[in-house]
Amino acid sequence: MMNLPILPTAIVGSYAMPGWLERLKTDYFSRRISRHDLDEIYDAATKAAIKDQEIAGLDIITDGELRRDNNVDYFLERFPGVQIDRSSKKFYYDFYDSIVRGKLPMASLGLVSDFRLLRDFTQRETKFNITGPHCLAKRIRNQHYPSEEALAMDLARVMNLELKALAKAGARLLQIDEPYYSGFPEDINWAVRSLNALVDGVDAKIAVHICYGNRYGKPSWEGSYRYLFPAILDAKVHQLTLEFARRGGEDLDLFTEFKPSFELGVGVIDVKSHEVETPEMVAEHIRRTLEVVPPEKIYVLTDCGCVHLPRDLAFAKMQAMVQGTQIVRKEIGGRAATVIDRPVRA
Amino acid sequence: MILKLNHLQEKVAASAAQDVVATIYSLLEEGHIGKEQFARLQIELDWIQYKQNFRDVVIATEGYNAQGEPAPIMDIHIDTRQVQPGCLRVEMLNAFARAKARANPGTEPVDRLPLEGFQSMRSSVVWEFNKLYWNKLKDWQDATGKRYEQSLPGGQSDGHQPQAIADSADEFWNRMRNLEARNQLPSEIFLLEIGVGTGTRMGLWLDKFRELDRERGTAFYPKLRILLGDYALGTLDMSRPAVNEHVDLCSFLVLDAQNPLKTLSFLRYKIMYVHSTNVYDNLPDEEVVRRDGRLYFVQVRAYIPMSEVVRLAAEFGTAPETIRQSVDRLLEGRVDQFGSRARGVDFWREVWKAVRLEERLVQLEDLPEFPFPEGLDAAKLEDMLEQAPSDFRFHLSSGALESFVRTLPLLHPRGFLEVQDIFVQRLDDYRLGFYGPGKLDGSLLNWVNGAILKEVAERAGYDVHFAPFQYRKGSKTSVLYTTRRD
Repeated sequence: MMNLPILPTAIVGSYAMPGWLERLKTDYFSRRISRHDLDEIYDAATKAAIKDQEIAGLDIITDGELRRDNNVDYFLERFPGVQIDRSSKKFYYDFYDSIVRGKLPMASLGLVSDFRLLRDFTQRETKFNITGPHCLAKRIRNQHYPSEEALAMDLARVMNLELKALAKAGARLLQIDEPYYSGFPEDINWAVRSLNALVDGVDAKIAVHICYGNRYGKPSWEGSYRYLFPAILDAKVHQLTLEFARRGGEDLDLFTEFKPSFELGVGVIDVKSHEVETPEMVAEHIRRTLEVVPPEKIYVLTDCGCVHLPRDLAFAKMQAMVQGTQIVRKEIGGRAATVIDRPVRA
Repeated sequence: MILKLNHLQEKVAASAAQDVVATIYSLLEEGHIGKEQFARLQIELDWIQYKQNFRDVVIATEGYNAQGEPAPIMDIHIDTRQVQPGCLRVEMLNAFARAKARANPGTEPVDRLPLEGFQSMRSSVVWEFNKLYWNKLKDWQDATGKRYEQSLPGGQSDGHQPQAIADSADEFWNRMRNLEARNQLPSEIFLLEIGVGTGTRMGLWLDKFRELDRERGTAFYPKLRILLGDYALGTLDMSRPAVNEHVDLCSFLVLDAQNPLKTLSFLRYKIMYVHSTNVYDNLPDEEVVRRDGRLYFVQVRAYIPMSEVVRLAAEFGTAPETIRQSVDRLLEGRVDQFGSRARGVDFWREVWKAVRLEERLVQLEDLPEFPFPEGLDAAKLEDMLEQAPSDFRFHLSSGALESFVRTLPLLHPRGFLEVQDIFVQRLDDYRLGFYGPGKLDGSLLNWVNGAILKEVAERAGYDVHFAPFQYRKGSKTSVLYTTRRD
């Protein structure tokens, strides 16, 4: 059971990556600081990110993903059976070249300790993010499996164990990030199958985040979410989190057209812009969403991760999101808080 | 002492170098140069640059520390092409005297008319001349009887090469076809040309693209939205006839090449293809010198040699003391001085021919305080310099860099930026020589530090490649090609 107000607020996952952290990571690779020091730095930065979210007034807190160079390598480095070429990337946020030459063995990815730090340093509800199998399969050079789908299904099989371990450790909201769906709409049917394999039997609320990319703070694709339907309706998840602030709310009508049973994590903050939204702009986005989704099924989020925003801007945007949400909460009857049972999976 | 020889005049270089060495030794023996100063001195012969340039016969450059205290002369540049037989020693002594005078605040030079105080190259008055040229291009062309392109090496713009344009249109068509196959073709396909020139390139490109579209049975052409951007309204008007057949697809925009985003922010992430030819080389620049592990910022001061001031006064029937005033009026846009427009333009051309730059080096003690152009900061520059030569001079290419970083956000995720220009592609290439600023007709010309552009873009998530321009033998231009990194 999650104890949340109506229209709960959160960032999608990552928080602003400080420039000094990027440089310290480079120092680590140049052997100027030790792994022990780097881990302490990560812990300190994570605690600061948690605190910033709390002060801004968010209802659900993430760890800010400050340990992650990007949403791919953090996971692939942990997969036994995935070979990484560590000389293959020049810049912090780039991807390593990775390759699979044999069947992936079952193994723990060791994500639970990162979740525990988050759990131990906030009293609020938490969300922990995992990059989904479709995205990971797209970044790996496959020299073993007969197809990308087969690779994704095996990635899902290994990661399913990890999700169950996270749920056992107390994770009640897990978000699967699938930023490549929009770039490869032709994959959507098998992508949903691998998503379902990933979350099968996991005792937690599951959100899936689908965006148009955020590499270096820029979109990777343009288009409409229409490609998701009807395939996404088969996804065994509770929540879709989609970006609407930057792209506009036109695609919200898909929720009227297809009437999915999912909750909607609605992006109301444009993380690719350095203009800070006003609370009224945020409120307007939420009002538009309320036309197609009932309030108890709406989560108020940023469009995507804040990793490429300067910290002061990220913080100001979070505050605007919270203030804008408060405006709408009052308008819909002042239900400051509500208890939402974990939905039964379809 | 280090003597750097360039390779412009192989036949006379050996004897010129011998003359320089002999002269330097005699100046050392006579005490004009101290022993310590001699040990640190670097002398460069025949800086590589355009024939029409801003350089004096001998330039002695003194350094200043971060507190503004002068240090001895560090660099001497000698243009042996300008040295009159038997005059090297006198020219060097004069250059030394000028450097000493500059180091004494309040001392006004007597052999030259300064047009400004020492400052960054990018703020120099020479860029006002450049601006005037583009704003009054027709006046200049009427006076010279030739079009701008005729001044270019080869007599025409490489941007107009028909086969290059045909290949570009074909490549773009294929790109659109791929997007269509993935159901990702936008309903409107935006293209931006920065610096339209005569409009010839865009006109030819559209002719070819329409032809391909018809031949191959697609309907991409009607989706095109062509944005022709230029700093000068007059140039935009001149470009219109060249795209007349496609004018319904075209919009003509007054646009600052240094900040396309300012005009076009509503098209962020929407433009599929941005192109420019010979624009970056004409944007304000500044220079940095790395010497003995320290970084120095190059400050310049534009001047007219007093002998030229006297000549100009005589030729235009005025007193030498009023020349400065006439130059100021000229830069306010008054090209009709001295009785007629033709006469006024003659004055403009003669002044431009006479303008030169002197320089000094100011040490950057604290790099983070340096006013970096957008996209660059101390950390990035420090990283770049780790791999760079220890003693060298390089362009910061501030204007080009700002234009670049303020264009990239306009690119559609599948879009690309193509810039044809004169690029220094690697910092290491500066070992081979520094390409100084030149005068091209009434405009200013600078080589562009492509290595900095590449580094900045790569850090921001773009891939940058350079390719030689293969369509004209001997062309010094290359093509910078930028896309979002997958």
